[in-house]
Formats: sequence, C-alpha cells, structure tokens
Amino acid sequence: MTLLQALFMGLLQGATELFPVSSLGHAVLIPSLLHWSFRQSDPSFVPFLVLLHLGTASALLFIYRNEWVAIIKGFFTAAVRGRIETPPERLAMLLMVGTIPAAILGVYLESRIKSLFASPYVAAGFLIFNGLLMLGFEQLRRRAERRAALDSKPRPVQEESFAEAERISFRAAALVGACQALAFVPGISRSGVTIGGGLLAGLRHQEAARFSFLLATPVILGAGVIEVPQLFSSGVPVGEYIGAALLSAGAAYASARFLLRYFRSGRLDPYGWYCVAAGLVSFGLLALHL
Amino acid sequence: MKSNQLAIGFVILAVLCIVIAALYAVGILQFLSSGSGVHIKHAILFGVLAVASLIAANFTRVKAV
Repeated sequence: MTLLQALFMGLLQGATELFPVSSLGHAVLIPSLLHWSFRQSDPSFVPFLVLLHLGTASALLFIYRNEWVAIIKGFFTAAVRGRIETPPERLAMLLMVGTIPAAILGVYLESRIKSLFASPYVAAGFLIFNGLLMLGFEQLRRRAERRAALDSKPRPVQEESFAEAERISFRAAALVGACQALAFVPGISRSGVTIGGGLLAGLRHQEAARFSFLLATPVILGAGVIEVPQLFSSGVPVGEYIGAALLSAGAAYASARFLLRYFRSGRLDPYGWYCVAAGLVSFGLLALHL
Repeated sequence: MKSNQLAIGFVILAVLCIVIAALYAVGILQFLSSGSGVHIKHAILFGVLAVASLIAANFTRVKAV
C-alpha cells in the first residue's frame, strides 16, 4: 500500500464509519473498483485497521469526553450501589447491556463473517440491502408519527415527541447492541442498524445517533486496543499508518459533528438512497470490469 | 426483579465465566477459536462477562433497609 492509498483509506474509514453507509462495504468496494491490489481480509492489513479504528474511537471519545466521564462515574456508582438513581447511571448500564451481545458476537463471529463475505459483489449487494433497511426504518418511523398524529407537524415538533437515549428499555438496548454484529457483513452499516434500532425503540433521530456513537465507542476501542500488539510486528510502516489514523480521527470528528447536527431534523432516507445507488453503480462497474 | 436466588445464580455464572476466562488464557480451552494456543480476546470477553454477572447479582439481591 502506498502512502497516498493509506491516507485515502484513513479518510474513507473515518468518514464512513459513523455515516450509516457501511465503512467496511466502502473499504471492500473502493479499492476493488480502483484496482488496488490489497485486500481488507489480508492478515497484514490488521495493524492498519487497528490504527484507523483507534483514530475513529479517539474522535468519538473526544466529542463525548464530558459525557464519558459522567458515564464511567455513573457505572461504578450504580454497580457498587446495585441501584440506578441518575440518568448517567442508567445510560452507563444501558451501554453495558448493549455492548455485551456485540462483544460476544464480535469475538466469536467477526473474522468468520468478514472472510466469508469479503467480496466486492457481496459488499455491493449488502450495500443495496443496507439502503433498503434505512428506508424501511424511516417508513416505520413515519407510521409511528402518523399514529401519534404528528405527520402534519413541523419536523422539530415531531422529533420532540420522541424519547432521549436514557429512556430506552434494557431489552431494546441489548437488541440494538446485538444488531451491531450485522455490521461484520461488508455493506451493512453499524451506525445505520443501531440508529435504526434506536428509532424503532422510540428515540429521536439525534438521540438514536448519540446512543449509536456511544455504543460504538467501547466496541471500536476494545477491538482496536486488543490488536495493538500486532502493530509491533516487523515490517509495519507505523509512521505511515499513524498519518492515516490521524486523518481517520479528523474525518470521524467532522462526520459525527455533522451527523448530530443533521439528525436534529434530518432522516435516514438520503443515506438509504445513496446506499442503493452506490450498490447498483458498484455492481455495474464490477460487472463491466471498468 | 429482586431475588436472592437470582443473585446467587448470577454469582455462579460469574465464577463459571472466570474459570472459562482462565482456561482460554492458559490455552487449554479452544472452543470456537481460530487455531491453537492462548486466546486473550476470548479470555478478556469472559472476564468482562464475569464482572457483568457480579453487577447483575448486586442489582438483583434483596438489600437490607
């Protein structure tokens, strides 16, 4: 991998990890469409991915630094007391409940699923499926808005009628967390399925995105930190990779800021249509060997 | 749901998780892992599950007022 390719991949990973468009799908499809010779499933690619993920997780930690301090404090307080008394304590326990299924499925299934589906055609197919999923989530949300007689109200009013992340049930948190495992399939977006799950659980769009980003942080960080020793294997161009990770962190920071603003009144539809279009175009280009 | 029996169940689950974590850490247990040897990732997972079980036990036990 050349320096330019590494920097491009860093930028791509950071930008697409938090948008509901599947970073893994893009990371499989784009190098393939550009006829780059490296593959995501290659074991030598792991240290590179580790640093990119650490970059993304650092950006999320920075954005929610104050919230994470309250969450960690709340976690220990509630764990020792054996009772939840404050919203940060509840959020801490919700995140724990949501992270456990993702961690179990991640440890046992991630590498198997990734290697099974690491083909650009499969990624393009699942990207289309991901788009349809996003559009489906929004259809269900619109139905819920109609049921609550909110369909004629302005978007900010509609959004205010839904709940904050702390109000999600523990069962829903576990389900949303388990949905993260779907993102091991290239083309399915982790943030997409968790934001969609949050919407189904009755959260506002912005709160569903916030819950999704908070839920992603320990998973991305944990997966990255565990693989850190791989960085010290011989022949790893650490300097090059750190540059890419910094770009990834910058792109993830900008994406998260944009998305949190966008989801004040925006919906998943544009990302759904983008995924369908990108998947179809990729299929076409791959089939024509362009 | 508060129940001391449920709390004891969670403590037993925690002990079981610690044992499984230790077996993965020393490389005796190979269940659903790639290749042979030590499986730190699996060991950490079961360590975390043990902590979560103990927290669940603390939440479910009946507390003296």
